[in-house]
Amino acid sequence: MSIFEYNGAAIIAMAGKECVAIGSDLRLGVQFQTLATDYKKVYRIHDKLYIGLAGLSTDAQTLFHRFVFKHNMYKLREERDMKPATFSQMVSSTLYEKRFGPYFVSPVIAGLDPDTSEPYLAGMDTIGAIETAKDFMVAGTAPDSLYGMCESMWRPNMEAEELFETVSQCLQSGSDRDALSGWGAVVFVITKDEVIARTLKGRMD
Amino acid sequence: MGESAYSFSLTTFSPSGKLVQIEYALTAVAGGATSLGIKATNGVVLATEKKLRSTLVDETTVRKISMLTPNIGVAYSGMGPDSRLLVRRARKQAQAYYRVYKEHIPVAQLCRETAAVMQEFTQQGGVRPFGVSLLMAGHDTHGPQLYQIDPSGSYFAWKASAIGKNMTNAKTFLEKRYSEDMELEDAVHTALLTLKEGFEGQISGSNIEVAVVGEDGKFRVLSASEVSDYLEEVE
Amino acid sequence: MVASGPFDFDLCSRNAYLESKGVKPPRLTKTGTTIVGLIFKDGVVLGADTRSTSDTTVADKNCEKIHFIAPNIYCCGAGTAADTENVTGMVSSALELHRYATDRESRVVTAMTMLKSHLFRYQGHVSAALVLGGVDLRGPHLFTVYPHGSTDSLPYATMGSGSLNAMAVFEEGYKEGLDRMGAVKLVARAIRSGIFNDLGSGSNVDVCVITRGKVDYMRNYEYLMDKTVARETPVVYPPGTAPVLKEKRWKINSTRPSEAAAGGSAEAMDVS
Repeated sequence: MSIFEYNGAAIIAMAGKECVAIGSDLRLGVQFQTLATDYKKVYRIHDKLYIGLAGLSTDAQTLFHRFVFKHNMYKLREERDMKPATFSQMVSSTLYEKRFGPYFVSPVIAGLDPDTSEPYLAGMDTIGAIETAKDFMVAGTAPDSLYGMCESMWRPNMEAEELFETVSQCLQSGSDRDALSGWGAVVFVITKDEVIARTLKGRMD
Repeated sequence: MGESAYSFSLTTFSPSGKLVQIEYALTAVAGGATSLGIKATNGVVLATEKKLRSTLVDETTVRKISMLTPNIGVAYSGMGPDSRLLVRRARKQAQAYYRVYKEHIPVAQLCRETAAVMQEFTQQGGVRPFGVSLLMAGHDTHGPQLYQIDPSGSYFAWKASAIGKNMTNAKTFLEKRYSEDMELEDAVHTALLTLKEGFEGQISGSNIEVAVVGEDGKFRVLSASEVSDYLEEVE
Repeated sequence: MVASGPFDFDLCSRNAYLESKGVKPPRLTKTGTTIVGLIFKDGVVLGADTRSTSDTTVADKNCEKIHFIAPNIYCCGAGTAADTENVTGMVSSALELHRYATDRESRVVTAMTMLKSHLFRYQGHVSAALVLGGVDLRGPHLFTVYPHGSTDSLPYATMGSGSLNAMAVFEEGYKEGLDRMGAVKLVARAIRSGIFNDLGSGSNVDVCVITRGKVDYMRNYEYLMDKTVARETPVVYPPGTAPVLKEKRWKINSTRPSEAAAGGSAEAMDVS
């Protein structure tokens, strides 16, 4: 078993026209035993910056708290929020510090540039190798099936509502072929002046 | 260090509540060659005297303005060796910031970090305060900025300021000459005029140092011939 | 915890324990990669493909493998993506400080020595295979740096999983004193040979030409791989397709309502 398959996760982030969406499934399990069905894997850093953490949940929680800590310290020092690109570099260097004993987490970062409202998407492996994308980013226990959905469903310049439907379909259809993720989903759509958070119904098997 | 016989701080309060060591440090600064800085609408200029104790010193090797990052530089008045330690720390700090965020350190942050080093040296055991004041100039997303940092570790943003020997006169001069809508070229002229006011001997491109940072965000120490050209303009 | 070098070994014992229990460590993003470099008449040309892989899955279709080291030095990286990114970043940072201290242009050998000493210290565990090139006061230089810290100085070099494909092209086409046009064309051909014949390499060609006082970084010099299929009639889900149980919305920078799904009991689902 890979350590990534211990708890299970499915995360997708997608870019639209001056908006981004990021969503995760809601299952938390220990291998094949489901423990909770309301476990979100997407976390808010600030209104225009969200991070999804797939992998070992204990590490994901620890890391999220470290990121919040670091972001709070940054805000106190610099009197501003981190930009998405700055934040993901910070995440990357936090992970690379543990190059030889990594956190078992692969992050997906989605945000909007505060000035241009340009979408920002990035993903990473467990030691912080950043890959940026203009279209979509996935992570979890069945990345290949999520990739497959996104590759065929994503199209450029989606408006917020279209983006929401696309992400929702990709996330749910993608995780339907994954035994370790599912049980509903949560999707955050971030636009220039609003955040929409929706909980979705999904298969419960 | 903690176990050493000298692990107490040398900077201790006098009964009247002063830290005389810091005041002595300021005296050391006030004895140093004059440096000044002016913030213009589109950039900052730093200017300083290169005071040499003998004509036999090769003046081309004397540097009083240092680059910290591509967009930030610093000039000092006071003890040269002390300034070099601060410059080294500031450069390292800037690189450390870049390694984490892949973004250049904002001027205000680098200033605060440098000031923090200076403060530590007023409280830590076995050390003395720095015998320098710094003028830090830079240009970032918040526009042009000029900071003065003193041996106590206190720092302020200035529109124009002067440190070192002639600071009082220079500041009075700057107060008269400064205007809010001044552009970088004018600021360079004003800086040279101010420096010229209290200059002992003949001012030239080789016995002063001038640096600018403009809207391109490139901090640049001017060459002796560039300074000479500017000097001709103000004459 | 005593810090030793840039790394923190806190989690090593836990991770080793997990591994002893039969848990496999996660796969890292590699750059399977074809990277090349050659010396021509006026300088150095570096080239790279733009595929990064996680096991056999393409992780990034258009990543950047030519890294900035100094204004006159660049470096192509193959191996574990995070390692190539960070090792080049560290050296770039050290060289900048070195330039401030010495007031001179960085030398390629300095960069090469810094890279190899870091890699040697970690005995190949920092898995970066590099092609380093630049022009300094002594002219153009090209080096390969291996993950264990050995180096070669060569007129033309290739690295990564596609190195054999690329080297075949170089062996056939390299001549001393190539002109710029010929050099860039040969490099692009070598990279293409990797892209099309090596599965670890793919997508596009990045080229970087370094001559005295000038760098020409041509990102996606050849854009070979666009999306294979663009649906004529894209699937558009009408609004309301997704089964929404709950919704919360808030204006940016206003107080948020207690969050959408967090801990809240969801509406009863149909479990028949």
